[in-house]
Amino acid sequence: MNIEIMHRPGNAAAKVTLEPSEQLTAEAGAMIAMSGDIGITTTTHKKESGGILKAVKRMLAGESMFLNHFNASSQRGEIWLATTLPGDMMEHTLDNETLIVQGGSYVASEPDIEIDLGWQGFKSVFSGESIFWVRLVGTGKIIINSFGAIYPIEVDGEYIVDTGHIVAFNDTLDFTITKAGSSWINSFLSGEGLVCKFQGRGTVWCQSHKSSSFGQTLTSTLKPRSA
Amino acid sequence: MSEQQNQQQTATAEQPGYAFKIEGRPDYSFLTVTIPANETLKVEASAMATMDTHINMKTKMKGGLGRWVTGESLFINEFTAEGGPGEIGIAPGPPGDLSHVYLHNEVIFLQNSAYVASTLGVEIETKWQGLKKGFFSGENLFLIRCSGDGDLWFNTYGAIIEIEVNGDYVVDTGHIVAFTEGLDYEVTMLGGYKSLFFSGEGVVCRFNGKGKVWIQTRLVDAMVSWVYPFRRVQKKNTTTSS
Repeated sequence: MNIEIMHRPGNAAAKVTLEPSEQLTAEAGAMIAMSGDIGITTTTHKKESGGILKAVKRMLAGESMFLNHFNASSQRGEIWLATTLPGDMMEHTLDNETLIVQGGSYVASEPDIEIDLGWQGFKSVFSGESIFWVRLVGTGKIIINSFGAIYPIEVDGEYIVDTGHIVAFNDTLDFTITKAGSSWINSFLSGEGLVCKFQGRGTVWCQSHKSSSFGQTLTSTLKPRSA
Repeated sequence: MSEQQNQQQTATAEQPGYAFKIEGRPDYSFLTVTIPANETLKVEASAMATMDTHINMKTKMKGGLGRWVTGESLFINEFTAEGGPGEIGIAPGPPGDLSHVYLHNEVIFLQNSAYVASTLGVEIETKWQGLKKGFFSGENLFLIRCSGDGDLWFNTYGAIIEIEVNGDYVVDTGHIVAFTEGLDYEVTMLGGYKSLFFSGEGVVCRFNGKGKVWIQTRLVDAMVSWVYPFRRVQKKNTTTSS
């Protein structure tokens, strides 16, 4: 499988080339074009595993409840993946490890990767941002997307990231939700509110913009809708 | 990060057509065309951003009533460089990408909002797609048919990807920007019924044959749907609340 990401960072799209009979699992709706001989099956879970419970958990995470599985035929095929919002995409390879991805940033993965929700996310209920995190476990390539540009930060020790700017992080990192300033009142007034403090060693991928902030910027210019 | 953006900065025509450059690809593409003396360029209404003072503008009805129905502006303006060559800057509405093709007695179909500009040798007309192809695609019932000889520019929201089709290729209906005439196409379901409702792909356009398809990486409609929850909620009796 070869992944090529084009038109970064504003209008990113991923071209995935599948060798004969290779497979790719992608978020429902992510495919924009593909070779005609690629087969597609839609399931509520990773093929041959999990079940409806996992699908419900995925739905709660803000992810689509359904996953599409693409199968190349006896010939090489290609699939183009894109996202709804303006933003970047990233290819990453997992080597028997775990990556935590913010709900909504998952795009696609190789079939050997287990897609699940980590309960680490439980703590972030208080963050006011996305509640759950998608947990990708295993070995293989993955594609994730962001709102705005995506950039990695190597953490060794401690690092603070605004919860809305986290795209993904290695689960070797421990995190706590904390206040940005020295006092709670200070943090609240600063507009930063709650932040995520990472501890340990690993990588955090951040996005340059926060979709909720952009949406709120638009609110005052949009016509109200009826309740 | 991307060598594409750099190499795309200024593309100058090697085709027999007008000299032009496209800057700011793929996010904020802007087209500058040099119109030779006493020649004319057709431009989508309201897309002109800058021009030399000796360029003369005339408004023409082009494409007939069909363009009205397509929701596209009914007018195409004609810009003529009187007396000497002139430069015109063209900025399409949505932030996105621009592509150029030189038609050598060929035909290209455009999604109805993609047209930007063309030279006089290119005939522009709207074409009824037929109920099945148009209606079921959930997109537009009309396509713009561009034929003849000359330059043609078209734009998108999001980046443009050019795909060489040889055989069978599937494109999500909303993402189609343009395709060449040699291709046969039909609107079909992808996978089984489960895929129709839950795959998020639903109906797609299946191209067959040999030719080119241009697709866009983003959709205006999807952006609009995303914005919806950010609208304030108007309650009855009370004024506004969020």
